[in-house]
Amino acid sequence: MKWLILLAAIVLIRLAFRFKLLGRRSGGEASRPSDAQKPLPPWRRSLFTVGVFAKVSIKRYFRDRVAIFFTVLFPLIFLFVFGSLGKNNNVSFHIGLINQSGTAFAQKFVSNTKASGTFKIDSTVTNLSQAKAKMSRSEIDATLVLPPSFGEIGHSGYPSGQAIIYFDENSAQAAQTLQSVIQGQFENINSSLIKIKPPLSVISQSTNTQGLSKLDYTVSGLIGFSIIGLGIFGPVNYFPLMKRQGVLRRLHITPLRVWQFFVSSVLSNAVIGLFSIAIMIAVASSPLFHFKITGNYLELGVFLVLSILTIFGIGLAIGGWAKNENQAAPLANIIVFPMLFLSGTFFPRYVMPLWLQHVTDFLPLTPIIDGIRMISTEGKHLTDIGPQLGLMGLWAVIIYAIAFRVFRWE
Amino acid sequence: MPAPILQVEGLTKTYSGKQVVKGISFDVKKGETFGILGPNGAGKTTTLEMIETLRPIDGGQAVINGADVAKDPQAIRYMIGVQTQSTAFMDKVKLTELLEQQAAAYGERINPLELLRQVNLDSQADSYIENLSGGQKQRFSIAAALVHKPKVFFLDEPTTGLDPQARRRLWDLIKKVKSQGMTVILTTHYMEEAEMLCDRVAIMDEGRIVAMDTPQNLIRQLLKRGFKKARKVEQADLEDVFIDLTGKELHS
Repeated sequence: MKWLILLAAIVLIRLAFRFKLLGRRSGGEASRPSDAQKPLPPWRRSLFTVGVFAKVSIKRYFRDRVAIFFTVLFPLIFLFVFGSLGKNNNVSFHIGLINQSGTAFAQKFVSNTKASGTFKIDSTVTNLSQAKAKMSRSEIDATLVLPPSFGEIGHSGYPSGQAIIYFDENSAQAAQTLQSVIQGQFENINSSLIKIKPPLSVISQSTNTQGLSKLDYTVSGLIGFSIIGLGIFGPVNYFPLMKRQGVLRRLHITPLRVWQFFVSSVLSNAVIGLFSIAIMIAVASSPLFHFKITGNYLELGVFLVLSILTIFGIGLAIGGWAKNENQAAPLANIIVFPMLFLSGTFFPRYVMPLWLQHVTDFLPLTPIIDGIRMISTEGKHLTDIGPQLGLMGLWAVIIYAIAFRVFRWE
Repeated sequence: MPAPILQVEGLTKTYSGKQVVKGISFDVKKGETFGILGPNGAGKTTTLEMIETLRPIDGGQAVINGADVAKDPQAIRYMIGVQTQSTAFMDKVKLTELLEQQAAAYGERINPLELLRQVNLDSQADSYIENLSGGQKQRFSIAAALVHKPKVFFLDEPTTGLDPQARRRLWDLIKKVKSQGMTVILTTHYMEEAEMLCDRVAIMDEGRIVAMDTPQNLIRQLLKRGFKKARKVEQADLEDVFIDLTGKELHS
């Protein structure tokens, strides 16, 4: 199942080769163009042209190590960085535990606390001055001290006493958490000693629905990041170069239409994009990260192709318009970076003020990131994400209208 | 006398208020090799670019084989081949693939090896363009310009920057193309190149054609006006010595 997207990419490559077959069939009539003064190529010849151009750029990509580095390895580096950050999600406190009491109750409490694993207890700490030194270096967050009288049987006939938590100024929050945890444990013990049922209580219960884990969030964001990198920074770098070298000028002399050039570029970009995303998902799904796609792979593939189509239009518009690299790069940065941060690529949009959320709802990248998340981690179907698809479609129309209008061969 | 395949009538081009092509007219006959000579900035390249549909025509008219360049550029593109600068090909793409792609731009399938054989590059079929020598690149760009068997072939300073051997090989290639009945239009700085290749030449200066005839006639007219060379002409020059010593066939 994991490799279904890769399969889709291979199918797309095969499709590009298929155009060859289409071309061969129409080859008979096409081989002598000098006889026809103004040949009107049938649609199959147009598609043949598109197919050959797409095929050549895909082949070229797989020979370009720098391009492979930036489209495949670069997002993977991000995955490793963000993925390992996400791993330390269930933080446990490092504490020192000093038991000055010799009572059986205190000893039992200490061994229970150690066994529970709620805290990581630094066993090298045996007295308060050691603890203070370790706390000042933030090696431990707080120190729990059970004073000598702790656990002695009091007047009431029950073990009693007061534990003390030491903390320094930069770990006040940890101390507070530690206090409430210990408080909770004491209350449990108290209520087991004195058999009364407190009138008010609270419990928490899981709803058993899957929410977004930090890694799920990261991977979906990184897929969006890949699409941006490939779809915008790719053509923004490459098109001005092709203009400088005269590649586009050469094509301009031929009857090649702008739309044929665009479609072939979109096709090759989609294949390359699916390839790099498939590798990222494969790595994320490996035992290293345990990323799991709950949705349908085919639907995700289709959605990714539409996403690549939309975003690549932005790169096509900028790169196609720019006369040189100096024009292209700043414009791309102005468009990409705000979009990258405002569309929920790396952190959730709900942390933004409400008005900003409403504005960023309509950025072209937002429905893409949301859609990828909804399919891959929430298991939604394409039919469930109509609003996202609609917004993407609208953007695609606007973006490609601009791209066609501003395109220059030189 | 064959009918002209290219007719240019009163062509003008103005860049930011300055007229760089000032009403140029000439005809090129089918199968002819026509040279446009002139110093840098004379307007040679601009004239060609207007005929090649790359620049809008400001004034006048250009007609190729009955099709008006300004009105029907798409028909013109099928009929012309243009040798472009040798950098105009993408790196990391094999020569055969580049030719297939170039042909696909015209909606055609070709046999790239056959075409490479014609320009003596069949041994380099699987090479990338960045691994070719300067002369090989030029020859390749000629092959690429001819994938669709155009009626008129344009070359803009084809031998600039090449060493004498590579130049001679390119001349042979252009002659070969010409012998197949192709109409060739080229610009050049080198007079011996024009004399060697062109049936007729137009000499341009400051946006105008100042003379147009066969090279022999132009020389005769000059001699008639009483021109004498300052230096006695030898039967050979230094380049002949160089070619004799280093050979032309050995280098590719």
